Amino acid sequence: MSHWTEVRPSEDFYRVLDADGRPLDDPPDVDEETLRRMYRAFVRSRAFDAKALSLQRRGEISIHAASTGEEAVSVGSAAALEPDDWCFPTYRQTAASIYWDAPLARTFAGLMGAEPETVAEHLDDESNPAVNFSPPYIPLTVNVTNAVGSAMADAFNDRDTVTMSYVGDGSTSEGDFHEALNFAGVFEAPAVTICHNNQWAISVPTHRQTAAETFARKAEAHGVPYDRVDGNDVLAVYEKSREAIERARNGGGPTLLECVTYRMVDHNTADEDSVYRDEEELARWADLDPVDRFETYLREAGVMDDDEMDRVAEAAEADVDEAVEAARSVPRSDPQRMFDNHLHGESWTERHQRAELRREGMGENPFVDFDGEGFK
Amino acid sequence: MSSGDVALDVEGDTERWNVVDAVRETLAQEMRRDDAVRLLGYDVGPIGGVFRATEGLYEEFGGERVIDTPLSENGILGTAVGMAMRGERVVPEIQFMGFLYPAFGQLMYSLAKLHERSGGGIEVPMTVRIPYGGGIKSSEYHSESTETFLVHTPGVRVVCPSTPAQTKGLLAASIRHPDPVMFLEPKRIYRGEREAVPTGEYTLSLDEARVVREGEDVTLLTWGAMLEHAETAADSVDADVEIVDLVSLSPLDVETVLDSVKKTGRCVVLHEARRTLGLGAELSALVNEYALDHLHAPIKRATGYDVHFPGHQTEDAYLPDAERAEHAIRAVMSYEF
Ligand SMILES: Cc1ncc(C[n+]2csc(CCOP(=O)(O)OP(=O)(O)O)c2C)c(N)n1
Repeated sequence: MSHWTEVRPSEDFYRVLDADGRPLDDPPDVDEETLRRMYRAFVRSRAFDAKALSLQRRGEISIHAASTGEEAVSVGSAAALEPDDWCFPTYRQTAASIYWDAPLARTFAGLMGAEPETVAEHLDDESNPAVNFSPPYIPLTVNVTNAVGSAMADAFNDRDTVTMSYVGDGSTSEGDFHEALNFAGVFEAPAVTICHNNQWAISVPTHRQTAAETFARKAEAHGVPYDRVDGNDVLAVYEKSREAIERARNGGGPTLLECVTYRMVDHNTADEDSVYRDEEELARWADLDPVDRFETYLREAGVMDDDEMDRVAEAAEADVDEAVEAARSVPRSDPQRMFDNHLHGESWTERHQRAELRREGMGENPFVDFDGEGFK
Repeated sequence: MSSGDVALDVEGDTERWNVVDAVRETLAQEMRRDDAVRLLGYDVGPIGGVFRATEGLYEEFGGERVIDTPLSENGILGTAVGMAMRGERVVPEIQFMGFLYPAFGQLMYSLAKLHERSGGGIEVPMTVRIPYGGGIKSSEYHSESTETFLVHTPGVRVVCPSTPAQTKGLLAASIRHPDPVMFLEPKRIYRGEREAVPTGEYTLSLDEARVVREGEDVTLLTWGAMLEHAETAADSVDADVEIVDLVSLSPLDVETVLDSVKKTGRCVVLHEARRTLGLGAELSALVNEYALDHLHAPIKRATGYDVHFPGHQTEDAYLPDAERAEHAIRAVMSYEF
């Protein structure tokens, strides 16, 4: 098996750090505060994924898709956003919202299956992150089109807000990807689309996804500028994202960034990756782990030492544990919640079906209304 | 139960408009009223849409309010949702209902879903205008009446006017409403009869069916372009027919339907969609579940057949008309449990 799952294996992408985490050129211009926040997001994201996995194994959550190994894509790109910008993620970018301090308890409660209304009611005093996050999208690529619409709204209103969205390599095969990029190009929307090329779409490798040389080049068909970046190099992702965001903010239109990375774990907790990929491939990518590379950089640049890193790790564990406790304190959702927030106002059907459910819950026969008056 | 033409209660000047005039004038009025209203679609710009429903609007409001887009239904709905999430009141046009299908992903995944998915946090105020229905002798996929797909979608309203005055009130109400509304325009009556439509602002309820004509013997449930057949049929049969125009196909005004059927004891549904799992099936089920004791005869459905919409030499045979409605009415009148 080849080391790369792509048609033409290539390391022809933008990179700031070498495989070990040493700058290839002059150290990049990123302030220390941002570097620290990025590191903190990495560590919190790993702690979050580890906890989610254990909760899943214990049956407290049904399914979770981790981002282990590819956090640099989410963290580097999201860190380049500014407060009031917008971000439309999938299930794979928890680290992006973690960077912006989205409350972890809410995320856990969602994974535990609580209805969003219940979560909001019981965990309501936590503040929203400075960057606006849409709810994570489960249907693939739909978010990208919505993100471009959000960016178009900003352009039409002469606001300098930027909208970022994420798509996996597999998802670039969906129509929405092309529809979104096409609109973004035509309307010069301030939309930055990040393609997480993590080499696999569940069990389907990238060469089965496209015959194009790179995913980035798909933007060419839409007249959208593109770039290809080492997705395990958080500084490279940050720099290219910042460039794209600045261009968008200044009226320069959209960008597609392909971030080449690797999913180090199962697709999600229901997957079994040993069936379709081998140890050798995993080992090669383990050597390029984004957190290790970043740690080396931070130590050698004198930004953080081991003590501080340990403190960050301890704090992350503590925060995650606290978030899980808070999520567990959320009561089970009242089944009536399933009727909430479909349409504004009341309909006969809704009133009737709510009453039927209530009766069923009380062990009564819900079918005894023969004139439509019974459950009004 | 609402009755009669609410629009006629509106004070002030009127002008004689047909349905397409009403659509255009209402869009203009709402765009003047609210800067957030933007139209989106292909051909909606300088030519004013293939049905001229947006004629003159590009000149008045410019290309950022009347946005000619790439030819991409899914792209239109998808970007419209993003704009709606950011506070715009978007009114996308799907050129023909038969071309809504490429947009089903965005319809189901985001348009219909985001409000509920966000626990009520995100509003997607949007009115998708969809010319629908047959009787215009057009080519394939230009005559579809597949509103059942939309009625089966949670989280969107489905509204269908049948007269010019009603079109104005319902379209204005839809645009101002916080829910996504699928606004079905019966294109066959776009350029049908003109009537006096109040030029001032007014809205009509999206939740209420309209009792077009009161009667004692049989209830005829219908909507859109079928209303005129319903009226002709009612005039031709030897029975006192109550005609109910559903107006809102989702959610349904079940009370008005049940009240009428309980009064008359007989029911016919007239719709041009295919029969199996068409809205008539649901109406029939509702009457069966909640008004069976009042029935003197089974419910009959005068509808299209379970086939692809046929070529234009055949479409008159496919489409229900006054005669098919009359047969159904006579049949249920001839039966007594
Ligand atoms: C429209 C749609 N089809 C199928 C799925 C099921 N599904 C979930 S994730 C996935 C693979 C996605 O791969 P990719 O786009 O490469 O993203 P990754 O998971 O690798 O980040 C599939 C097929 C879905 N969520 N949405």
